Amino acid sequence: MDSINPWLLFFFNVMDSSSRFVKLFEMSDFHNRSQVSARRSDYVWQYEYYEDEEPVSFEGLKAHRYSIVIGFWVGLAVFVIFMFFVLTLLTKTGAPHQENPDSGEKRHRPEGCLVDINGHQDDNDKAFSRPLLEGSRSYFNFYISEEDQAHGKQKPEDKRRSAKDKAGRLQRSAEIDEMDEDVEESGGQHQPLSGLTEKSKSDRDRECAFLSHFSIPNFVNLDHGSTLGEDDLLYEPSVILERQSQARNGHCDTH
Amino acid sequence: MNQTGCPEVKVPFPVFFTVGIVSLAENLLVVVAVMRSRNLHSPMYCFMCSLAAFNTIASVTKTWENLMIVLADAGHLERRGPPETDLDDVMDSLLCMSFVGSISSFLAIAVDRYITIFHALRYHNIMTMQRTAAILGLIWTSCAVLAVLMVKFFNFKFIMICFIVFFVVSLAAICFLYVYMFMMARIHAKNIAARWGSNMRGALTLTILFGAFVVCWAPFFVHLVIITVCPMNPYCECYRSLFELHVVLMMSHALIDPAIYAFRMAELRHTFRKMLFCSDWKFCL
Repeated sequence: MDSINPWLLFFFNVMDSSSRFVKLFEMSDFHNRSQVSARRSDYVWQYEYYEDEEPVSFEGLKAHRYSIVIGFWVGLAVFVIFMFFVLTLLTKTGAPHQENPDSGEKRHRPEGCLVDINGHQDDNDKAFSRPLLEGSRSYFNFYISEEDQAHGKQKPEDKRRSAKDKAGRLQRSAEIDEMDEDVEESGGQHQPLSGLTEKSKSDRDRECAFLSHFSIPNFVNLDHGSTLGEDDLLYEPSVILERQSQARNGHCDTH
Repeated sequence: MNQTGCPEVKVPFPVFFTVGIVSLAENLLVVVAVMRSRNLHSPMYCFMCSLAAFNTIASVTKTWENLMIVLADAGHLERRGPPETDLDDVMDSLLCMSFVGSISSFLAIAVDRYITIFHALRYHNIMTMQRTAAILGLIWTSCAVLAVLMVKFFNFKFIMICFIVFFVVSLAAICFLYVYMFMMARIHAKNIAARWGSNMRGALTLTILFGAFVVCWAPFFVHLVIITVCPMNPYCECYRSLFELHVVLMMSHALIDPAIYAFRMAELRHTFRKMLFCSDWKFCL
């Protein structure tokens, strides 16, 4: 028997298999051919089916023959289901706190919503490892300090320049974050904002929470150092929401 | 061959043809819609168009290959003639190219979405149309080169290991990007009084997106791994006997891709409706 490089044959099976044209040919010709004279030619030899070497013995199998197949599919199914449950768990962690009485603290501080937090000063970069609510509250603290410091900068220009960007960003975020058809159908342009504007007074703190929370993606950037101190980004949410809430009162003004 | 062995599972030709032609039609529709409609000339849609183009190539190639097999079975084609084997090499290259290209396009779409969310205000500066064109050019040329190399030098184990490593790394990157975006979206959404239903739907969407990718691509890649690692093992042999099913799975991913990516975009659906049902094309587009 020719000393055929086994790896070559095995590898060939990959590409061979990817081309059923040749593989089927081999399967049908294998039994017909008793001569292997064609092997001498490199060109034809390449197309030798690997089974020509040695048929795989199926004697004495301890487990079921298809155990790898079954194991693979079970593992894949478990992985997908696990991923789904992880995602819904992330969702659930958020849901009970949607009705969280942010509104409970609405009257307590003169600065309004921005200081409504339990005074957690947690590590911001550990936000993902803790329940979402705590992590988001720590973001509040971070933003309060940042916005207080940078409060005096040019807001009017930001207002004009960024309002459009913000609306566009909301649209994109709405489209992509939710990936929901209803959000996309509605165009999403003003949907998140209009959803806020129709709130009652009791929801204003939630709106303010949104204001701070909305900066979170930028916060994440700052934390990971991926963007250079873009202070103007911190004003974006406040700018648009200010215009919205100024109609009622300046409750959520960033003081 | 042993009778107790695992017989190879054959998938009938009509299944291959149906899957191939339907996926070809869908993806071609996406490509044409994105190219013709001016308001779909944004980076996100360009990446989806690229994905659809790769899927189109894969569908065409697979269908053509099936046609040739049918003809060869019927005796109309010489199986070993040089034209057929060269054609076979060309088809293998195209298939490799489209597989690697699809994965690269998924990665590009995930990165684009990531930039949209986390660098939203600088998105239009980061992801200009010139950069998009450059990225797409890079993806297409590297896939073409890679495909030619892989088919020419399939002897080398290194090539296949590269292929598998590329798949695993892309999978991990895509998984990470989407889960990260999802987590951020939940933090964000829960304070706009997001409905419980929409949160569930987001989780479901992400699971479908990623789950479909993994379910359709993993079996073939595990096949590659098994070929390398345990070619003579009977258990592995039984896995390999299901090869045609795994190829059908891969082709069906080209079929469901438009449903997962393209058809979920309202803008694209709107363009389809205009294209398909509008009588006066010049006016409609």
